[in-house]
Amino acid sequence: MVKFLKPNKAVILLQGRYAGRKAVIIKSFDDGTRERPYGHCLVAGIKKYPSKVIRKDSSKKTAKKSRVKAFIKLVNYQHLMPTRYTLDVDLKDIVAADSLQTKDKKVTAAKETKKRFEERFKTGKNRWFFTKLRVYSYNHVVFAIDWCLEIGIEDLDFT
Amino acid sequence: MVAAKKTKKTHESINNRLALVMKSGKYTLGYKTVLKSLRNSKGKLVIIANNCPPLRKSEIEYYAMLAKVGVHHYNGNNVDLGTACGKYFRVCCLSILDAGDSDIIKSMPGDH
Repeated sequence: MVKFLKPNKAVILLQGRYAGRKAVIIKSFDDGTRERPYGHCLVAGIKKYPSKVIRKDSSKKTAKKSRVKAFIKLVNYQHLMPTRYTLDVDLKDIVAADSLQTKDKKVTAAKETKKRFEERFKTGKNRWFFTKLRVYSYNHVVFAIDWCLEIGIEDLDFT
Repeated sequence: MVAAKKTKKTHESINNRLALVMKSGKYTLGYKTVLKSLRNSKGKLVIIANNCPPLRKSEIEYYAMLAKVGVHHYNGNNVDLGTACGKYFRVCCLSILDAGDSDIIKSMPGDH
């Protein structure tokens, strides 16, 4: 009875080009709009996760490895898996409902989001958000391992 | 270890309460609509049959945990749950939106 698809909620995209990527809800449209008459939300997610940084890496290497590529998208609620995590990054000013209308607005919004994500990654907080979802494929059936551990199945039954 | 064996009496009372909800309240049947009702926070109680696939069961429980909605594991499979709802089809999971005259929401939620 509590609404949980709210801004700052971390979600995982289930369909589309960005399936399996983690994203954060920026704005939610519960009752839809004229163009999208269903519940959907504006999310900002990670297109390319930062690589693993080890102690041996020089500062140049660390800088290169900590890069994040971001995307912005309007997604139907049905194509999201909400999680119990949140990401408190203030993206409301950079990403607005009209950012997706023209290509250059989208690009600038994505660049700004990328910067904010990188800052947050470097502080070491929200580590779950910046790690890739581990996925296991068995006989053409794909299971998200991270996900199953998260919701408490340790024993996957491949039937 | 072993979950408390549900006595016949409590099982019948759930069926009675469910029948009352079917008559006087609002509900949705089926996985897709159950998730929809949890997403827009209309669902008040979710009932899952015992032969629901474990991944689906866990997913519904996760959504219900996020929405702070109680989940009741029905003591019977989807055929039985369909019969309990008075339908001639199988029901794997259902969501109660408005209990009507029934007290199912007040008396069931703590039950796992």
